[in-house]
Amino acid sequence: MQRWKQYGGLAGLFVAFLAAGYWGFTATGGALPWAKRSAKALQRGVQEGGGSLVDFGRGIVVAGPIRKGGVMLEFGAIVLVLVVLGIGLYVYVDRYGGFEDGERPVR
Amino acid sequence: MAHIHLGEGSFPLWALVLWTTLGVALVGAVVYRIRKGGIKTHQIALAGIGAAASFAIFQLNIPVWGGIHMNLTGLVGILAGPLLGALIALVVNIFSAAFGHGAVGLLGANTLVNASEAIVAYYAFKTLMGIDWDVFPASASAATLGLSAGAFLMGAIIVISGVNGSALPRGDLTIAVAGLVGLNLGVAVIEGILTGFIVQFLASVRPDLVGLADRDTKEEPTGVTA
Repeated sequence: MQRWKQYGGLAGLFVAFLAAGYWGFTATGGALPWAKRSAKALQRGVQEGGGSLVDFGRGIVVAGPIRKGGVMLEFGAIVLVLVVLGIGLYVYVDRYGGFEDGERPVR
Repeated sequence: MAHIHLGEGSFPLWALVLWTTLGVALVGAVVYRIRKGGIKTHQIALAGIGAAASFAIFQLNIPVWGGIHMNLTGLVGILAGPLLGALIALVVNIFSAAFGHGAVGLLGANTLVNASEAIVAYYAFKTLMGIDWDVFPASASAATLGLSAGAFLMGAIIVISGVNGSALPRGDLTIAVAGLVGLNLGVAVIEGILTGFIVQFLASVRPDLVGLADRDTKEEPTGVTA
């Protein structure tokens, strides 16, 4: 397929979805974190909201229940275990071609 | 990034039973398909990495659109396939619920939502590659479409269930949910672009990982050195 059609389609999809996103942002109380926004909207309905679309001053933060619940260490440990397990599996499979002889279905 | 963040007891009991039953049925069907058809071992490894990446990014709140998190379920679906993608959705939701991010009672509903994202993204990617699209537009579009499917399913689940304690009649609740779905569509664009870049990079260095080349026909080193 011609490249301009592919990227044209992608651009059209993005424009439509960004417009929907902006409407959703303003309609549901703008500039609230997702959890608070959804709870507020579902309990009290849509209302006009404001605030910036992007707030770099706040930075990237870990989700409230983990940060405020004091389980950052456990969160970090689980991520670390999953990463080590995933990369370990990948390296093993890549090096030895599988867990057993040949690439046969897992039973 | 669709994910139902309501607390325990937000849905009526019948809804809880319904979504949990459907979630169990989906996971049961996936496990049956895997046991019957088998999976390649490199997919298991990819699933491990995918689960780690998805779980980690699931918990990070980024300062865009007020404060949202991504799922990477579209990426997981494209890389690990629809079957393992659905299982990864379950695993990530279990871990998240254990930390209080999402209710335990909504595990079935949230697994349905996130699994649908991985499944739709996978088939959309295959379809677009099948009609000769380039990797970036195909993967970005597929991830965006997958996430939008999850957003609409999330909205449908909330509207069908109703929310305990909400002052809104069903019509107003539908409008409120539409706003949340709209917001999710905006976030899907961000995640779609990110997925597009990741898949394009993987396709350039390891095309076999994204199903663009057979692992068995991977080029052997020629032995020519500088």
